[in-house]
Amino acid sequence: MIALENFLQSLIAGVLIGSLYGLMCVGLGLIFGLMRVINFAQGEFFMLGMYGAFYLFGWMGLSGIMGPLLAAVLSAGFSFAMGWGVHRFLLSNSTGRAVAGTEGDGHYQQLILTLGVSLVLANGALLVFGNLPLSIRTPYASQAWELGPLADDGMLMFFFNQARVMALVAAVVVTMATYLFISRSRLGKTLRAAADNPDAATYMGIDVERAHRISFSLGVAITAIAGGLVASYYPFQPYIGLEFVVIMYAGVVLGGLGSIMGPFWGGLIIGLVQQLSALFLPMQLQNGTIFVLFLLVILFRPQGLFGKNVERV
Amino acid sequence: MQSLRHNIYTQLALFSVLYLGAALFVDDNYFRFVLSTVPIWAVMGISWNIFSGYTGLVSFGHAAFFGIGAYTVVILSLNFDVSPVIGIPLGCLGGLIAGVLIGYPTFRLKGVYFALAMLAYPLTLLYIFEWLGYQEPTIPMRTGAEGLWHMQFENPYYNIVVSVAIMCLAVWVSHKIHSSRFGLSLTAIKQNEAAAESAGLDSTKWKLRSIMVSGALAGLAGGWYAALVLVVTPNSVFGMLTSSQAMIVTLFGGVSTVWGPVIGSLVLIPTSEIIQATVGEKLHGIHGVLLGVAIILMMIFAPDGILTKLKSLVFKQRKDPNEQAPQVTPPATASGDSKRRISDEVMLDVRGISVSFGGLKAVSDVTFQVHKGEVLGIIGPNGAGKTTLFNLLNGFIPATAGEITFANTNLVGLKPNQVCRLGVGRTFQVARSFSRLTVLDNVVVGAFAKDDDDDVARQHAMEALELVGMAGHAQTLAGGLNSLELRLMELARVLAGRPELLLMDETLAGLGAEEVEVMLSTITNLANQGQSIVIIEHTMQAMVRLVDRFIVLNHGTVLATGEPTTVMKDPAVVEAYLGKKWVNNATD
Amino acid sequence: MLQIEGLHTSYGGLKALVDVSVKVDENQFVAIVGPNGAGKSTLFKSISGTVQAHKGRILWEGQDILQMRASHRALLGIAHVPEGRQVFKELSVYENLEVGAQTPKAQKEMSHNLEQIYALFPILKERSTQLAGTLSGGEQQMLAIGRGLMSAPKLLMLDEPSMGLAPKVTDIIFERIQEIHRDTRIAILLVEQRVAEALSPCNYGYVLRSGQVAMEGSPDTLTRGDEMRAAYLGI
Repeated sequence: MIALENFLQSLIAGVLIGSLYGLMCVGLGLIFGLMRVINFAQGEFFMLGMYGAFYLFGWMGLSGIMGPLLAAVLSAGFSFAMGWGVHRFLLSNSTGRAVAGTEGDGHYQQLILTLGVSLVLANGALLVFGNLPLSIRTPYASQAWELGPLADDGMLMFFFNQARVMALVAAVVVTMATYLFISRSRLGKTLRAAADNPDAATYMGIDVERAHRISFSLGVAITAIAGGLVASYYPFQPYIGLEFVVIMYAGVVLGGLGSIMGPFWGGLIIGLVQQLSALFLPMQLQNGTIFVLFLLVILFRPQGLFGKNVERV
Repeated sequence: MQSLRHNIYTQLALFSVLYLGAALFVDDNYFRFVLSTVPIWAVMGISWNIFSGYTGLVSFGHAAFFGIGAYTVVILSLNFDVSPVIGIPLGCLGGLIAGVLIGYPTFRLKGVYFALAMLAYPLTLLYIFEWLGYQEPTIPMRTGAEGLWHMQFENPYYNIVVSVAIMCLAVWVSHKIHSSRFGLSLTAIKQNEAAAESAGLDSTKWKLRSIMVSGALAGLAGGWYAALVLVVTPNSVFGMLTSSQAMIVTLFGGVSTVWGPVIGSLVLIPTSEIIQATVGEKLHGIHGVLLGVAIILMMIFAPDGILTKLKSLVFKQRKDPNEQAPQVTPPATASGDSKRRISDEVMLDVRGISVSFGGLKAVSDVTFQVHKGEVLGIIGPNGAGKTTLFNLLNGFIPATAGEITFANTNLVGLKPNQVCRLGVGRTFQVARSFSRLTVLDNVVVGAFAKDDDDDVARQHAMEALELVGMAGHAQTLAGGLNSLELRLMELARVLAGRPELLLMDETLAGLGAEEVEVMLSTITNLANQGQSIVIIEHTMQAMVRLVDRFIVLNHGTVLATGEPTTVMKDPAVVEAYLGKKWVNNATD
Repeated sequence: MLQIEGLHTSYGGLKALVDVSVKVDENQFVAIVGPNGAGKSTLFKSISGTVQAHKGRILWEGQDILQMRASHRALLGIAHVPEGRQVFKELSVYENLEVGAQTPKAQKEMSHNLEQIYALFPILKERSTQLAGTLSGGEQQMLAIGRGLMSAPKLLMLDEPSMGLAPKVTDIIFERIQEIHRDTRIAILLVEQRVAEALSPCNYGYVLRSGQVAMEGSPDTLTRGDEMRAAYLGI
């Protein structure tokens, strides 16, 4: 019985954290999945989202259960602007039409450039914010809704941490909104077309560079929202981004490139794997399971679960 | 021709004397420590360069090898009292083995997938070592004779000496690779893996060799590092910063150069240490910010590294008006008897070759033969399947039906480098060159498959250059060639492998009229000397003069075979090019 | 309407176009033929702006657009149906057509234009929710043409629509192109390797060879001359 309870509780935890991994992966999915652009600094934008939410929460004096969520979403505006700047000044020459058709599609430059950006952002944050772990303190982070007692002997009890549940709800809402925007709206279709075939898009009159910039900025903003949401219950410091980089890429690859929802499911699965592995693995190895999963995915099924054409013309 | 600039031993001696000499004047123990770590990072940079710099596969995970080397030394010293004198070579070996184990499965990945996979390895090792309990293993301090045996010197100056010695070894290895077929083969593979495979290079083998050497050097660096600092934590050796630093000193100094990583290390390490020491206490993180900014600026302004940029600024390729640039001298057409001797012997026998892509038959049941000494032209409208046919002959695409017999072997199913070794050479449409290397270096790669000896290979390369009239350009940097010269150089590269059969893919495309003439006479000469050639071309007038026979392809099937004049009057052929209605209207 | 004067373009270090002059008047059907490598696609790319010509003029309705950005030129009313179709593989048929309408004018007329395109190419209506990458070659060509038409253009440029397609499908495509010319006021500039198909419906033709205009004239003139044969067959 206890084993069952542990298992189900881990499942719940897995879903709760997985939904946030999912949202973070959706953001990267727009950049890497859709546009095949490498952003090694994605984790740092996640981190910036956390700090942004934290300070907005404090300055605006937000409260209530919606407080942290609002802060997270609002801080995304700042991340959007930063992403815009990074793309405009640094990445333009290594993405899109400038490199379409060249060997490697500019990936080498993108990799190294964004590595530089990640170093600047992570260490810049250390410089500005210091390395004291912070988190958004609300009473909800330590309260939980209870389900139970269930079963015959009244022994099964399940706890749903309130802050995490609200974060899940927010994550799902933002993911759905992103999905609807990208797949249904006119701008969303334009972005997809520009990512799909930059030359043909230019013939249509689409400003491909601008489209790519919007996609990039949106992608980092969404990941930043995920960061802001995680900040509502998990302590963070400037180097936290690196912990999540592999998770994000693993999620996008697992879910499949080219799909919008795929990365969400990829992230969710990773969250589940991570929490379930806690049942039988010591803490230090839990994160190892993610790396192992990632290696297995790219070695044996690079197109992921829902991936569309892996090879682009 | 061993001038000061080119003799590696002189360079190493000079560096050692200057560095160790300067180190004598340093009294402060902290700065002595910095001076002993600079060469270690230079070795890491060299290690990264030997792999990622040459192959182009960006590795974010060299910390894995470094860490393995470090932990080998620490664990052996701590648990078994084994001196680093033995531990370091073992760490080096550990790095080598890790290189093979990691490389083999990961090589099938490309680009960012490779980089990310490489990232995962050291981080996984980091967690494993934490779990194993090795959070902070410390080598016990030893003094006196025992200390000496365990490489713990009372005078820190000797640490610097050991570091420099190890660095000299690494530089020597790097130099040996750079100027030998090892480096050239890797450069060729990085430039254009398809062309390299066609030239007979087994890219997987070369990549494995490269990662083995790279892993060994990184393990060496890690092992000595552990012996030096005595305390090792998982994060300090397996962490992101280790991999980044190895990469950065190389990128900064110059990728694919021998001394680049050393220069990068000389500039960046002391700078960041000084910054760390002075403002680092008050401004946590300034070190990382500056490192990041350095990377960004460098990628934008000098993507190939500072050394390379400086070289190109200082040694600009100026055309000295007094020195006449060597002309391309096409060998004189053999006068009189230019009748080709075409034997009856069938060199290439293609029977019923087909291939489909997703339900579409790109090449369907193609049959033809190439005789020894003949020039066969393959023509047809756009999209007819000509290049696909070449890819089938070459081994890039496996045929789904049919047989190709060459040198008593069925080529179907063989890899391109195997096809090349049997004697089939192929030129490519996009002639990409190693612009910073000489023409001879560009061409010699083609001889490696057949010649084990580097000198013999160079000799064959020179002969090939003579065949195409480019011998005068042997020492010119390829970046300064015009399009005709590039094409000829590409042709020479293939000829350096002395192929029995030469496949030429649209060699004349885009050349001006005069250049076409030069190209034509070169090819004609080759044919007159007995070279068997199959050529795809569109420029009709040229083809008609060049070939002995035509094969016309359309929609993947053979429409007609035969002498040029007969074939071009064949109604089916006319229809294929100009359309049905033309044939009906044709006035002849 | 479109007047190209003395255009010079270099592409990848090679002289792709040398002193090319071509003219398309309103409602005209102009064909450009020539063997492979003659520079036909480069000409289109120079007009669209994805390759920058370095000398000469490209006059559209009197205005020189040589220095104008590529994405702006498309909004002037020049639709480019690229070589190899280049549909957006991961978008549906309907979405491909939708994306073709980028200008306010095109968006206002969208439902009307869509109806016309569906009438012209019924198969597109049938497959409107399918991903474009799953269509056959001929269907993709129809989609690419439809996508171009959705921009409500004044000039429709078609780059080798027959490439890679079976003869029967090619015939259908050419029939429809002629229909478009007959039923609308759209001018057509067609580049083709297949001579007869291109020449029969056109008003005026150019033969391109090695980046230069080798010959021009009415279809009759071109068909009778030996230039054509020499250009393609070398004899």
